[in-house]
Amino acid sequence: MSAAQIFAVIIFTAMFVMIVLDKIERHYVTLGSGVLTLGVVFGICMRKGSAIWDTLALEGFTKKEFWYQVTESESKGINWATIVFIAGMMVMVEGMAKAGFFRWLCMKIAFIVKCRTIPVFITFMIMSAVLSMFIDSITVIMFLAAVTVELAQLLKFNPVPMILSEIFCANLGGSATMCGDPPNIIVGTSMGFSFFDFLTNTGVCAGICLAVSVLFLYFAFRKELASAEGEKIDMSKLPKPSEAITDKKSFIISSIIFGCAVILLVTHSMTHLTVATIGLSIAVITLLTSAKDAPELLKKVDYKTLLFFIGLFIVVGGLEETGILELIAKFIKNISGGNAMLMVAIILWVSAIASAFVDNIPFAATMVPVIESLAATTDVSRNTLAWTLSLGTDIGGSATPIGASANVVGTSVAAKNGYPISWGRYCRKIAPATVLVLAISTGYLFLRYL
Amino acid sequence: MSQFIISVGREFGSGGRVIAEALAERFNIPIYDRHLITDIAEKTGLTPEEIEKYNENPKHRIVSRSVRGFSNSIEDNIAEMQFNIIDQKAQSGESFVVVGRCSETKLRKYPALISLFVLGDMSEKIKRVMEVYSLSEDEAKKLIEKKDKKRKRYHNYHCSGHWGDSRLYDLSINSSRLGIEGTVDCLEAYIKARLGADAK
Repeated sequence: MSAAQIFAVIIFTAMFVMIVLDKIERHYVTLGSGVLTLGVVFGICMRKGSAIWDTLALEGFTKKEFWYQVTESESKGINWATIVFIAGMMVMVEGMAKAGFFRWLCMKIAFIVKCRTIPVFITFMIMSAVLSMFIDSITVIMFLAAVTVELAQLLKFNPVPMILSEIFCANLGGSATMCGDPPNIIVGTSMGFSFFDFLTNTGVCAGICLAVSVLFLYFAFRKELASAEGEKIDMSKLPKPSEAITDKKSFIISSIIFGCAVILLVTHSMTHLTVATIGLSIAVITLLTSAKDAPELLKKVDYKTLLFFIGLFIVVGGLEETGILELIAKFIKNISGGNAMLMVAIILWVSAIASAFVDNIPFAATMVPVIESLAATTDVSRNTLAWTLSLGTDIGGSATPIGASANVVGTSVAAKNGYPISWGRYCRKIAPATVLVLAISTGYLFLRYL
Repeated sequence: MSQFIISVGREFGSGGRVIAEALAERFNIPIYDRHLITDIAEKTGLTPEEIEKYNENPKHRIVSRSVRGFSNSIEDNIAEMQFNIIDQKAQSGESFVVVGRCSETKLRKYPALISLFVLGDMSEKIKRVMEVYSLSEDEAKKLIEKKDKKRKRYHNYHCSGHWGDSRLYDLSINSSRLGIEGTVDCLEAYIKARLGADAK
């Protein structure tokens, strides 16, 4: 191993450990590691200025393909398309939340099913999955869990089974589309896939898994939920959905913007607008239409997450540039003996197990170049490996309370309201559900692609 | 009398809690210690025993994660609830004594805060713990070390300053020097002097 490779691995490993230990905020960890990669790996060890420039990838902004893309292209270094898209979505989501959209939607659906426990349980699971296809699962769960707790207190049922199921379905929904979960955005923008590519591949699998999961979770939790079912509900005591709307005009505008974002995302392979263009456009429209609230919306953007991504992409760029990821790819190729089924199974289950315990974003970012390399040197198509990686990282995150951001937010909302969820309580039903869904995904990948 | 908040940090076995109770009695103000647990229990429907399990405990880093200010750690959430309760009480203008809960840091923004830290000699702490908990010397020493380690980790995780560092408190006092009563007298005099100085 060369010095550059050794340092790249040390920096990456130290970064991962620091993220897990959670002693220093994770964006400082990745940015610090990124600076070390640029300075030590590229500057001192490799003495390669061009590698620094390639990894920073700033010239991407000036290229037409960054904004308008007719043919598929791949990115290297900092994946600015992911960052611009996520930032844009954050602005839009803040606008929607401020107008009361999410709370209104949750209350509206609860009212449509007359606030009966089992129908609320099922509709909230589906809503969680559908919303997470387009919006980050943190926001979805933040509102859904809060409304669930509110309904639970009014209707006297235990919200924990419902919150756990919502978390599970949010992660599942996120796997269905390119913008549902950060690993998918990274896979999609790095490998040149469209929203529709995801929908017709991981989306189909997520749909099948969702149907099975709703049934599984219903049977797993039916006893806990049944105790509250049957009691007469006085709907007049419940807060009306319309009360959730803070400003009617903003509510209508943000709903229209959301609708436009969905249409733009679904059609982006036809319009050739990249996700970066879509993200930037919806952010600009949101800010223009909410003039006086624009500074507040901009302030609420989670810049820490964006910085985290920037640092992370640089560190992964270090591993890629030094050839470490190719070595990992070779290792996977060797242990699978070139057997496609074994390779897919390894990627799916290793991704899932890793994502159950560590942040799935660094994992996905690291694995993208690995699967590119595997696809180039074996008979397995890169598309198959991409869907495998997406499903593994997205679904695996559900297994434990720390596997995905939605899990942390959901369990935190529950605890703050007096319903602490321990690891045991979480994993008892959700870990088996995750294993079940992963088994279905394995079958799906084998039958459809191999 | 204008508002005053007495925050008492303490080493295990130093008699800090008893001293805090005596101060609350002398100044005729409420004390928040275990009461915070019952308060949370009433608000959330959890039992005090359930809350006690996670009270003033540091989170387990490996099995915990934070996302945008949310944490899956029950210890973190219980701590956050307690910080909010004492903050609301301070904000309401109420005078009170609060034991532990990082109160010297969490309430630092309030000019009414008087922060104290009670420590003690190990030999004296052991004697006290042996007596209160009916333990052998060895058991008492182990318990003190275990409890203080936990308090330190809890404090240092939630605050930027170090637990027991005199720079963090208005006054640090060794209760082994004057005994419990003498320490209470001394602290009472200090608090009165502070209140007098603040009134001028």
